[in-house]
Amino acid sequence: MLRDVLTSLDYSRSAEIALGLFLLAFALLVYGTLRLSRRTTDRYASIPLSDRVEDPRDDN
Amino acid sequence: MAVAVPQADHGTGSLEASVGEVETYQYNDGITRMFVIATVAWGVIAMTVGLTVAILMVLPKLFYELGPLGELLTFGRLRPLHTNATIFAFAGNAIFAAIYYSTQRLCKCRMWSDTLGLLHFWGWQLIIVAAAVTLPLGITQSKEYAELEWPIDIAIAVVWVGFFGVNFLMTLVTRRERHMYVALWFYIATVVTVALLHVFNNLVVPVGWFKSYSIYAGVQDAFMQWWYGHNAVAFFLTTPFLGLMYYFLPKAAERPVFSYKLSILHFWSLVFIYIWAGPHHLHYTALPEWASTMGMLFSLMLWMPSWGGMINGLLTLRGAWHKVATDPVLKFFVVGITFYGMATFEGPLLSIKSINALSHYTDWTIAHVHSGALGWNGMMTFGMIYWLLPRLFQTKLWSVRMATWHFWVGTVGILVYIIPIYAAGLTQGLMWREMDETGRLVYPDFLETVQTIIPHWTIRIFGGALFLSGVVMLAINTLMTWMSRPAVYENPTYSAPRLLPYNGPEPAGKPSPLEGKPVLEFGKKVDQFARMDWHRSWERLPVKFTVLTLGAVVVASLFEMIPTFLIRSNVPTIASVKPYTPLELAGRDIYVSEGCYNCHSQMIRPIVAETKRYGDYSKPGESVYDRPFQWGSRRIGPDLAREGGRQSSFWHWVHFEDPEQVSPKSVMPIYEHLLVNELDFKQITDRVRAAHFLGAPYDRELEEAPEMARRQAEEIAAEIVSQGGPVKYGDTLVMNTQAVALIAYLQRLGVDLNRPVTPEPVAEPDAAPAGEDVEVEVGGG
Repeated sequence: MLRDVLTSLDYSRSAEIALGLFLLAFALLVYGTLRLSRRTTDRYASIPLSDRVEDPRDDN
Repeated sequence: MAVAVPQADHGTGSLEASVGEVETYQYNDGITRMFVIATVAWGVIAMTVGLTVAILMVLPKLFYELGPLGELLTFGRLRPLHTNATIFAFAGNAIFAAIYYSTQRLCKCRMWSDTLGLLHFWGWQLIIVAAAVTLPLGITQSKEYAELEWPIDIAIAVVWVGFFGVNFLMTLVTRRERHMYVALWFYIATVVTVALLHVFNNLVVPVGWFKSYSIYAGVQDAFMQWWYGHNAVAFFLTTPFLGLMYYFLPKAAERPVFSYKLSILHFWSLVFIYIWAGPHHLHYTALPEWASTMGMLFSLMLWMPSWGGMINGLLTLRGAWHKVATDPVLKFFVVGITFYGMATFEGPLLSIKSINALSHYTDWTIAHVHSGALGWNGMMTFGMIYWLLPRLFQTKLWSVRMATWHFWVGTVGILVYIIPIYAAGLTQGLMWREMDETGRLVYPDFLETVQTIIPHWTIRIFGGALFLSGVVMLAINTLMTWMSRPAVYENPTYSAPRLLPYNGPEPAGKPSPLEGKPVLEFGKKVDQFARMDWHRSWERLPVKFTVLTLGAVVVASLFEMIPTFLIRSNVPTIASVKPYTPLELAGRDIYVSEGCYNCHSQMIRPIVAETKRYGDYSKPGESVYDRPFQWGSRRIGPDLAREGGRQSSFWHWVHFEDPEQVSPKSVMPIYEHLLVNELDFKQITDRVRAAHFLGAPYDRELEEAPEMARRQAEEIAAEIVSQGGPVKYGDTLVMNTQAVALIAYLQRLGVDLNRPVTPEPVAEPDAAPAGEDVEVEVGGG
């Protein structure tokens, strides 16, 4: 039955929908990433430099 | 070496809300030491096998004199051993070493389970040993980089998911660092995606312990294989090494990564884009055009994030370039990242259809792959190991000078390897398509195109030898450093409060700057969403993050797979294409077992020069009974898609006995063992039944397969005798040999397309191959 349902669907626009989905998700991520504060990213970037726990550990 | 016991210096203010009682912990470096040693050992072996296959291309009869042992050491059997050993043994162990070392430090906790770590290590080494035994024995699925048979595949799934994946994810869950550093994201993507790729590409119906048939056939099998093959490069040879880069490069340079924001974009771009790009491996094949185009578009989009990552890596060294001059670790990293940039520039370039038409099946692909594998994976691994050795063995590196020599010898080795092979690839591609003014092929004799590039292959051997000698230097340096280790390793104890579930201000609780402003409520909600705090919370939740990464990969995969599998017009069946006879099926298994796909494609592209050389282009419906597909990816020998009827059966017989008897200067190995080894007619029944189970419309064959195979073998043997061949070869009757079965298969290749359709009842729908729709069409010729 699942096969019947799937075969009856129209896939002709799959490539365009896929591209649209990708662009939407990507745009969202770029926007969100660019909104990160310098202080926060500096703290994240420094995590590998020390093998010990550095405080404060929360983002906020 | 004395190591002071570090004590974490904690403030108190923010701790109250989100951390618990102080705990002590130690990192488990023993498991990293084991993986590092395994990396070096398997690196020497993998590259020695690589050098051997490079020599075999120039001296194909090198091991013939070894008798039965020589049968195991042909190019077709050793090449998969080389690729598997390099990818899964050398690069695989390097990945694990990187992950076990860096994950503990990024999470500020010990790996969740020492026992799972040990099970992972020994399980993985056993899998590699199993591969090293079975591949030369011809036990293979013939799907590139997924050759291992189903029992080993199950072991891989258990070790990867059950031991490694669980241990890694539980370590993330029990970590003491709130934010998951970007390297961990790359590791998460690796763990989940490799598991997905491995499981779905290796779905098979077993026929005994050492043989199986793919549940996919023809076009669909090809699609699945290159979805796997391309993403194995992405998620086994790229994302974990990027994680490695984002951890070990800042450590070695003693400065943070240039742009953390860029690293986030780098991660998500790769996860979203890479998974779509697989179909670019199948341009101009029987794959549907839309899938091929989509693969190309997404491949082109990969340029941006890949170069963003490369630039991020190189700029991390800003202000530290003076160190590169003296530190071999940084030298390796700089060259490794540069090769990453080169390989990821070239990959999208090769995905452009018009360029791919020239490059595909040629040595250009081999040069591209080695630019990435030796330059990116190799150099990053070596840099990491040289950085780790003094820390893991708690002593000085035995010889910095030797490490520097390794760097220069390795770098020159890569160049001496890839430059002639790029030239060989271009030469092949241009010679194959060269036509004179009358429209005839200038080089109709395929062998002439092979002979032209043998000097290139010879120079490549020296490049490979140089690179291998560098790895031997690494092995010596590792051994000598290990020998100067302290009697007992010091294991520093760290202390830090436990990390409790986050209970700081939740995103929803934050006031919007639009609060109280004359703005619609909807606008306030959009603003809240756009603050992306929800993403920050994901980054704190490893399980959720893992599921979302998996979701991104699965959604992208389904968008390509569902249409490919279900649109009727994608694989129109051809009425004249019938299943293989029992003997042909047995011959096909021998073709697979000998690794013929390593040198011969079975896919004629709709390109004038190809149709002139090989005949009508391949149709999707021609390979509906091919499990696994045998389209191949390289032409050291000519395409065989329309080989049936081109040569006499006796010609093939002599060709197996010694290819040079009928093709002077051929580089094909001698397959005399096929003339001596008897075919096991009894086991054909099981294979016919398995093929029937998967959809091949067999009838009488199910009960009479051995008898039918014998009858056809007698006919072919009689043909060989009538053409001047022997009745017996040694003590074996010709009709009983494996060669006859293989000849039966070769004589069948491509002939169905133009076979007249005999009137017969239309097959019932449930008798069609699984995944295919019955649309009876007469193939054009």
